[in-house]
Amino acid sequence: MKVGLFIPCYVDALFPEVGMASLKLLRHLGVEVVYPQGQTCCGQPMANGGFEKQATHLARKFEDKFGNFDYVVAPSVSCTAFVRHNYPSLIKDCKVADKALDIVEFLHDVLKVKGPLGRFPHRVSIHNSCHGVRELGLSSPSEQNIPKFNKIRDLLQLVEGIDVVEPERPDECCGFGGLFAMEEKAVSQRMGCDKISRHAATGAEYVTGPDSSCLMQLSASAERLGLDIKCKHVVEILASGL
Amino acid sequence: MTSKERILNKCAKAADGAFAMPELDDIAAVEYPDPLKQFCATSEAVGGKVVELADNQDINELVRSLFPEARRIASNLTEISIADTNPDLVENACELNGTDLGIIRGEFGVAENGCIWIPQTMKQRAVCFISENLVILLPRQNIVNNMHEAYKRISFNDYGYGTFISGPSKTADIAQVLVMGAQAARSVTVILI
Amino acid sequence: MSTFHSKSAKSFLKDEKYSSWHDKTFWSVRQKRDAMAEKLDEWEQLREKASRIKLHTLSHLDKYLEEFSGNAEKNGVKVHWAADAAEFNEIVFGILSSHGVKKLVKSKSMLTEECEMNPYLEARGIEVVETDLGERIIQLKGQKPSHIVMPAIHLNHDDVGELFERKGISDQPGNHDPSYLTYMARLSLRGEFLSADAGMTGANFGIAATGDIVVCTNEGNADMSTSLPKLQISAIGLEKIIPDYASLAVFQRMLCRAGTGQPSTTYTSHFRKARCEDGEMHIILVDNGRSDWLADPAHREILKCIRCGSCMNTCPVYRRSGGYSYSYFIPGPIGINLGMLRSARQHSGNLSACTLCRSCETVCPVKIGLAEQIYSWRQSLSGLGTFNRSKKLMSDAMSLVFNHQGLYDAATGAESVMNIVPRDWMPFGLRFPRKPFHKLVKEDDK
Repeated sequence: MKVGLFIPCYVDALFPEVGMASLKLLRHLGVEVVYPQGQTCCGQPMANGGFEKQATHLARKFEDKFGNFDYVVAPSVSCTAFVRHNYPSLIKDCKVADKALDIVEFLHDVLKVKGPLGRFPHRVSIHNSCHGVRELGLSSPSEQNIPKFNKIRDLLQLVEGIDVVEPERPDECCGFGGLFAMEEKAVSQRMGCDKISRHAATGAEYVTGPDSSCLMQLSASAERLGLDIKCKHVVEILASGL
Repeated sequence: MTSKERILNKCAKAADGAFAMPELDDIAAVEYPDPLKQFCATSEAVGGKVVELADNQDINELVRSLFPEARRIASNLTEISIADTNPDLVENACELNGTDLGIIRGEFGVAENGCIWIPQTMKQRAVCFISENLVILLPRQNIVNNMHEAYKRISFNDYGYGTFISGPSKTADIAQVLVMGAQAARSVTVILI
Repeated sequence: MSTFHSKSAKSFLKDEKYSSWHDKTFWSVRQKRDAMAEKLDEWEQLREKASRIKLHTLSHLDKYLEEFSGNAEKNGVKVHWAADAAEFNEIVFGILSSHGVKKLVKSKSMLTEECEMNPYLEARGIEVVETDLGERIIQLKGQKPSHIVMPAIHLNHDDVGELFERKGISDQPGNHDPSYLTYMARLSLRGEFLSADAGMTGANFGIAATGDIVVCTNEGNADMSTSLPKLQISAIGLEKIIPDYASLAVFQRMLCRAGTGQPSTTYTSHFRKARCEDGEMHIILVDNGRSDWLADPAHREILKCIRCGSCMNTCPVYRRSGGYSYSYFIPGPIGINLGMLRSARQHSGNLSACTLCRSCETVCPVKIGLAEQIYSWRQSLSGLGTFNRSKKLMSDAMSLVFNHQGLYDAATGAESVMNIVPRDWMPFGLRFPRKPFHKLVKEDDK
């Protein structure tokens, strides 16, 4: 099984520790993982803002980089969702779309990780990112009457010493939304503050989630409100102490 | 070309017939072990009141005991002797304004939502809405589980009107505070017969 | 970089107490809806059936329209066809004036709002009285609805109390208790019902197999409007036709559960004939753009909408911006889409009001791809010439950087990352990492 690691642009530039944790975690689990140099962005920010055409070149480039792997794994639900759901309409004969998995899906559904992972003796509140919930199915959406599940929670519970909680309104949007945060600054900030307050109300020391862009919005909101709560990507927690 | 022809032509061109009608008989609709019990619970939840007529109890006495203050009572039901107004004999529906109590018959109740099927069976159907309080007589064996069963059962007569009523008229239009008695009956009492 | 919506939303949010109340109020409606959905094991199955019934009906709409109108005519109903709002208003006025109608009582209809019927009739000397309490309140206040199911939700009980005092509806100054105010409105509206010459309803559904108009209300005002006067007019959009009662059962079960979290509206009324021998019932089928939307495969599914309002209640942006922050009279996810269909040029300023969180699509009882449609409208913006220039510049810059490895490496090298990531996104204390991942991993591999 050949696994290509996709580290989206903003994770590469702003959250390299999330990339490192992904690598560490996958290697710890015995996965043969390769990081192809020369990758940049999947094109989602432009497309969601209304400039999908600008994503086409990037999709082709992505296909070249990752087309020959068995799986393309990324620590980012919204980028993964974009590759999986939008690439087939952007480029012909797209191979990567079906192979693209968020790292939570990969660990939970492909590797079916059951064994003990790292150690993290803290109370952690799960941030269920919209695209994880409603595009990749990482957890049962609160809107639907289907059996309840949460793959992030399943994985976190393999971490020693952890106390996992979820906020009230467990999958309401944090208000980031890419270019939304710029165009709708007032609403975006309000959503971010509302969301982090609900996380803080659980008594958690950390918020964790599958997407660093949501976590970036949440840590900005925490600072705005002066809340003492930190954000860590789920891979960092799973890999901590390994 | 008339507007009708123009609209139908445009729709005919746009409607590509691509989708078949789905099967509806396979809907796994909710059923209750005791539909009558569920009907009573739902009726109360939607603000209605359910009373059972005891064996040998006189319906008029029961209604009277429930509404001792009611002065003007409207009904066309033959078993109701306490009514002073018959909606079949009222020429102008507006004359029913000021009715304290309307008494009508319901054909069947729906357990899942407290709805009662009321086909128009009187000349002035206004009695169902304009009365301050409404009493619906409902045979207790006539309860269906859900609306799928209900819509298989409804029938119309020549009046060409029927309504499902589930509890009293209500509104939450002022500051989301639920208030019973918006424009139609302020209370609904179901008497199981 | 601001849009019509973002500017209005910003000022809406300035009143923190009110905007929090607004958010909580609609979230509680969403929770009531969730409780209803959870009580039915078949909920998701119903959504799928509802969606497919609508897709089927729309893809055979010409046949169902003919069946519906044929059956209605057999029932003695006069059926009219209006190509647009102007023709609709003329038809209504024609019917009313030929009967010498001075006062019309009506139940809530988003279609008559869409056609701006009330001002048209009022300009021609006909008094129009809205009888849904929420609609009546905003009519007296001279406002537009801020929500399709709860049109006066933006006002609190003091606003309504003061309004009723000014209009002489309440007789106890300072008594702003909702129960009291509702009772006083009841008395006032009762007088209107009794003196009306005609009654009008919208339609939640039209049943092709029988020709029935089906109207759902909690107040009973549609029934009051049509059981006192002898003349009834019902206005129905083409897309509201469904095949039969078996289909109606599916929608009746979902409409109110999704919309307000009740198991049913208080009244689900089926109008098949004029209410008496010397009465008349008219149905006006209104197109007003619908047949064009039907012909547009990219946006046709918007016509599946049953106007339950659940997409507004769940939308995190609607809850934090209010109905008046949208330029179209229907707000929220469905309103963004309907506004674009009505006039993309006029209403593209609402497209920003979406994070693509997709809660609306997941709530929608007929499974409309609301966010997907918003995404696709955004793609066509630059063609419309209404796109946001600085947003385009940002996107161009990202595109340039991401497509050129040298630029990308330079941009992600150090603090120059600021060139590609907007300043507003930066958490206050975010420290820029000394090296991006793609450089760290190179060193790691050595």
